[in-house]
Amino acid sequence: MIRFLIPLICLVLFFMEPVFGLFSPLNIGGELNYIVPRFLIMFLIFLTLYYDLKHAMFYGLFFGLLYDVFYIDIIGLYSFLYPATCLAAAAAFKRIPRNLLTATLLTLVLLALFEFLLYQFFLLISFTGMPLGTFITTRLWPTMIANSIFLVMLGWIFKSVMVTQLSERDNKIGLY
Amino acid sequence: MPQLLTNKRLILLLLGVILLVALISFSLRDRDNVSLPEQIIKDAVGAGQSVFSRPAHFVTGIFDNVDSLLNTFEENQHLKTRLEEFAGVQAEVKDLRSENEELKKIVGKEEDLRDFNPIQATVIARNPDQWEEKLILNRGANQGVKPNMAVMTASGLIGKVTLTTPTTSTVELISTLNPNYRVSAMVVGGAKDVYGLIEGYDAERHELLLKRIDANIELKKGDQVISSGLGGIFPKGVLIGTITEVTIDEFGLTKLAYVKPAADFSLLNHVIIADRLMPEVDGEDNGVTGDDES
Repeated sequence: MIRFLIPLICLVLFFMEPVFGLFSPLNIGGELNYIVPRFLIMFLIFLTLYYDLKHAMFYGLFFGLLYDVFYIDIIGLYSFLYPATCLAAAAAFKRIPRNLLTATLLTLVLLALFEFLLYQFFLLISFTGMPLGTFITTRLWPTMIANSIFLVMLGWIFKSVMVTQLSERDNKIGLY
Repeated sequence: MPQLLTNKRLILLLLGVILLVALISFSLRDRDNVSLPEQIIKDAVGAGQSVFSRPAHFVTGIFDNVDSLLNTFEENQHLKTRLEEFAGVQAEVKDLRSENEELKKIVGKEEDLRDFNPIQATVIARNPDQWEEKLILNRGANQGVKPNMAVMTASGLIGKVTLTTPTTSTVELISTLNPNYRVSAMVVGGAKDVYGLIEGYDAERHELLLKRIDANIELKKGDQVISSGLGGIFPKGVLIGTITEVTIDEFGLTKLAYVKPAADFSLLNHVIIADRLMPEVDGEDNGVTGDDES
């Protein structure tokens, strides 16, 4: 049962994203603010940092594929970007001190990068004509603020879940 | 990062990128048909998604209720002033409706472009990354939903169905930037009905563009725009919005009107899919027209 805790959290976060997406765009002061929930990728980055890169990439590929097929209809976009972000997180985390604060900051930086790459991609295939300035003010900032609230609230829970899972796995290493 | 990019990994990465580009271009090219594995994934995820969206709708419902409770007094006063007007209008509508029916009987015309079979659907997800304006509904081909059907809320048209699987369907909102997205529309309110095409969306003004209107026709600000039903698939008479500004289009030959959509595109919960009773034909509504390729 405990063994399936991490995939279960991934699944719940995956389904929570569009539910929170229903609240967006928020109309604040006559301007539409797009808030994009990115719970899963933040969880996956934490998984990379505190658990295991291989698992994180596998879950990234699987849920990225589901995301592509169900929501985006462009197969290969998220299923590439999710594992790639995990890989980048693993590479970056080797060079910085390991604690919850740096992990949170790194996650947010990677998230901004992730959003920007997606923006560039959709600009490239002309699904959007949004200028860079508008993108930063109406999409990137609201998204980053909302997601950082989520991460600050739940980041330590993620960490403690992964740390306990990791110690359980190390104890029962023969089962794997 | 030498340990991260050894030779084997580099090759894998390159292969991955090639596969990625191939997949992306494949799925971008062939977006009208859903392959079987895609359908299975869509149905499975859709079933899971509706489990999660139900409590969310319940919670937003509570918020809506509280909100409307707080506004009750103001709303009540506003409605009271409208009530007398309403009684008169209702009598007139009744009269006109019965007259219309009688006239139709005399002419022997039974079917109407206005008639449609409503399919009630619930929004189970909105494309969470919001780059493309898409909704996913919990009704699909099993319930008779077909691509290109009109989707609306009580206040007006919001989009059309682009893809269907047995139990879900994908809706592209009318506020899309897709250049092939057209709705054949008409302006009512003047002495004569004026026909045009809803083509494109102004993302900065949040308004639709009504194009291809004859330059000699005078349009007024505040005129209502409804679907004309001449595009082949949409029923006639679905409210689209009201005109806010009329200008000349970029070539100076026809007029262009900015239309403020009647429906609100945020916080969509329940929508109606319009299955037209009249036979459906190819036209502007599904983008299959003769001059389309030019």
